[in-house]
Amino acid sequence: MEFYLGILQTIGFHTLLGLSAYLLLLTGQLSMAQVGFFAIGAYASGILTVIYGLHIFLALGVGAVTASFFAFLVGFPALRIKGLMLVIATIAFSEIVRLYFFNLRWRIEKGGVEVGPDGAQGFREIRYFAANGWEPYQIVSFIWIVVILVIAALWWLDRVKVGSVLRAVGEDELAAQSSGVNLTIVKVSAMTGGGFIAGIAGGLYAHSTTYVDHNSFTILLATFAVAYPILGGLKNVFGTLFAVVFIQGILIEGLRFLGDYRNLLFGLLIIIVMNFYPKGLINIPIFNFSRRTKKGDT
Amino acid sequence: MLNIENIGKNFGGVKAVDDLTFRVDKGEIVGLIGPNGSGKSTTINLICGVFPVDLGSISVDDRNISKLPTHERVASGISRTFQNIRLFKELSVWQNVWVALQKDSYQSLGWMQEWFGNSKIQKERIKEILVFSGLGDRFDDLAGNLSFGEQRRLELARAIASKPKLVLLDEPAAGMNSDEVADLRQRILDLRELGLTVLLVEHVMELVMNVVDRIVVLNFGKKIAEGNPQDIQKNIEVQKAYLGGA
Amino acid sequence: MGIGFIDILQSLIDGILFGSIYALIGLGFTLIFGAMEKLNMAYAASSIGGAYVGLGIATLFSLPLVLIFFIGPIAAGLLSILVYLVSFRLIPASNHLGSLMASIGALFFIDEVIIHETQGSPLTFPELGIFSEAYFMLGDLGFRGDLIFIMIFGLVSMGVIIYLLYYTRLGLATRAVSQQNIAARLCGIPIHATNISTFVLAGILGGFAGCLAAASVGVISPLLTIPITIKGLVAAVIGGLGSIRGAIIAGLLIGGVENFFLLVRGVNERDIYVFLLLFVFLVLRPNGLFGNEISRD
Repeated sequence: MEFYLGILQTIGFHTLLGLSAYLLLLTGQLSMAQVGFFAIGAYASGILTVIYGLHIFLALGVGAVTASFFAFLVGFPALRIKGLMLVIATIAFSEIVRLYFFNLRWRIEKGGVEVGPDGAQGFREIRYFAANGWEPYQIVSFIWIVVILVIAALWWLDRVKVGSVLRAVGEDELAAQSSGVNLTIVKVSAMTGGGFIAGIAGGLYAHSTTYVDHNSFTILLATFAVAYPILGGLKNVFGTLFAVVFIQGILIEGLRFLGDYRNLLFGLLIIIVMNFYPKGLINIPIFNFSRRTKKGDT
Repeated sequence: MLNIENIGKNFGGVKAVDDLTFRVDKGEIVGLIGPNGSGKSTTINLICGVFPVDLGSISVDDRNISKLPTHERVASGISRTFQNIRLFKELSVWQNVWVALQKDSYQSLGWMQEWFGNSKIQKERIKEILVFSGLGDRFDDLAGNLSFGEQRRLELARAIASKPKLVLLDEPAAGMNSDEVADLRQRILDLRELGLTVLLVEHVMELVMNVVDRIVVLNFGKKIAEGNPQDIQKNIEVQKAYLGGA
Repeated sequence: MGIGFIDILQSLIDGILFGSIYALIGLGFTLIFGAMEKLNMAYAASSIGGAYVGLGIATLFSLPLVLIFFIGPIAAGLLSILVYLVSFRLIPASNHLGSLMASIGALFFIDEVIIHETQGSPLTFPELGIFSEAYFMLGDLGFRGDLIFIMIFGLVSMGVIIYLLYYTRLGLATRAVSQQNIAARLCGIPIHATNISTFVLAGILGGFAGCLAAASVGVISPLLTIPITIKGLVAAVIGGLGSIRGAIIAGLLIGGVENFFLLVRGVNERDIYVFLLLFVFLVLRPNGLFGNEISRD
């Protein structure tokens, strides 16, 4: 049981991370910075519950706002650079954030023990859930309530004008501008929103594993974050969810008997999908259980 | 309406547009013609703010717009179509129009409703525009699945969705057969019926000569002639430019 | 702390000498970008992979260790072809992000194969023989023999590249393809063959860089891949994507900056400043030192 709850948790964080990248990909921004925002959310909310003793909801909220604030700041230089340059810049951003936390020491005495981030040793004992008597199933349910809320919000976004505007910017910036769309507002908002989602994901991750260090926030994780929506396809939010379940649930957990070789499969999967299904797995006929054509519904 | 005064634009030392001055009055249909590379498309792009002018000024209704970013020029009443169709192909036909729908076309709605509402008023307005553009039956289709002629019409629909005063058409007849050109001609006249002003950049003389009130001729980025279609046809300078003699 | 002027100068010298490795990797990124306007994210991985193959073959057949420096680059060149075939060949030229993602896939694939084959532990890499023992003094400043060797080696390979690009038919074809893709095709230049030769060239260059990097550290580990990838990319961007001299100068600059901050801020914080340097450039000079407007669309 514990095992399955663990997988559900992992799928939950990864879905949130993937959705934060999905929101940016809609506007045509391939951002490797999501893992940086994830790390900021994790450390910020962890510090708030551990050092300041805040309630988890408040800590998660403030953590997410902090992450989205940094995303907002990243959003402006990101306007000037596009495509491949943005990828490189956001990789560098995520690495700066990771190295910052690698060096962050903030230890205080609490109840006779030292707590707080301890540089390379990581940030241990983010024990809010255990200390407040949350059962594992309650934690998992909480994570999934957040996941469902985010999925619902992004689904709804595609029903209102914002969704069309985001996708219009992703398809053709000049045509969108010439239709009266303010690129700055749209792209910076998408970055901010993506930072918010990644920030919540980070907070949930830190509290449910009780331990984070800089190794939790590598470029590999950033690649996972963008790979989910790209592999799943941008047609709708379920592509991302599907890709997470496929990779984390089937490829990594389901194929345990393959041992080490599973790690090879992720790289291989990206290569195969990019070569043969550039619009994502959800467009492959056998997986196409979603709506066949995009219709503007009401 | 549109007042262009002494504008100039250099690309790496080449004068794409050189000291160009002309005006378009309210309700007029003006043709902008010239041989390939004469600076027509550059002029359109300068008016829309794709790149800034190096010199001179562009104003709409006496308001100088030469420093405004593209989307603010749209808000001040300019919209356009593209020479090589640039629709949002992955969006449906009505969503293409939705993106361009400006707030003042349904002023009763507030800011929140504009961006997050999915209200009836917007849908009705979009339907109206699509029917006007002859796309009433393609409401839900993906823009990328439309035929070439329909894509041109959708671009036109998107261009009028922002409630413009002035529409810039960049070679709308390119690649059309003569039936389609005749249809396009009617649609341009319909725009005038709506009270819009039109600046038409075009190569297809069959269209230009039959629809415009006035023609401005460019060559090497300079204006070489201006006048009504009959005069332009007789103009020696223009004939020389088109024959490559200028 | 008492860091004197001489210490700073010494660390800058060591850093700039070691920076030739970043220059080589940055050069590889820039060559491929110049040819295809695409990033080959697997580039550093195939370079390190080549060094591994060189080490593996030399150990397996008990060959003289100097042969690693021949086998490694050749293997890296072959790996580079493989990367081209799986990440670039079939993906349309307009789909930049498709190739980018596929080559990131190839990066992790190569890395995981290495981890799998070596059980994740670093291997000892032969040092540069007599060069690693040599040490020259010039006044108060010292010059490490192996670093000088790396520098000289780097400069020679860069010279060869520039010669190939500007004075041979292959180079002419490569530049033609990168500047006027369609026109080049109409002139009968085979696009794919030209691209493959660019990849091989870059791959061989990377293989040398991989071997040199491993030799100067004395160990080789898959953990080298990501940092070298990122610093190579930073070098290519700071130099201006597509600019050869830019990549070289920026690579040396990064080496110097890295070692300077190693001295004043320590090993844990060093890389932060290297990456911040990238942001300084992106804000002040988004096209890099010698970049043109291409990268801004």
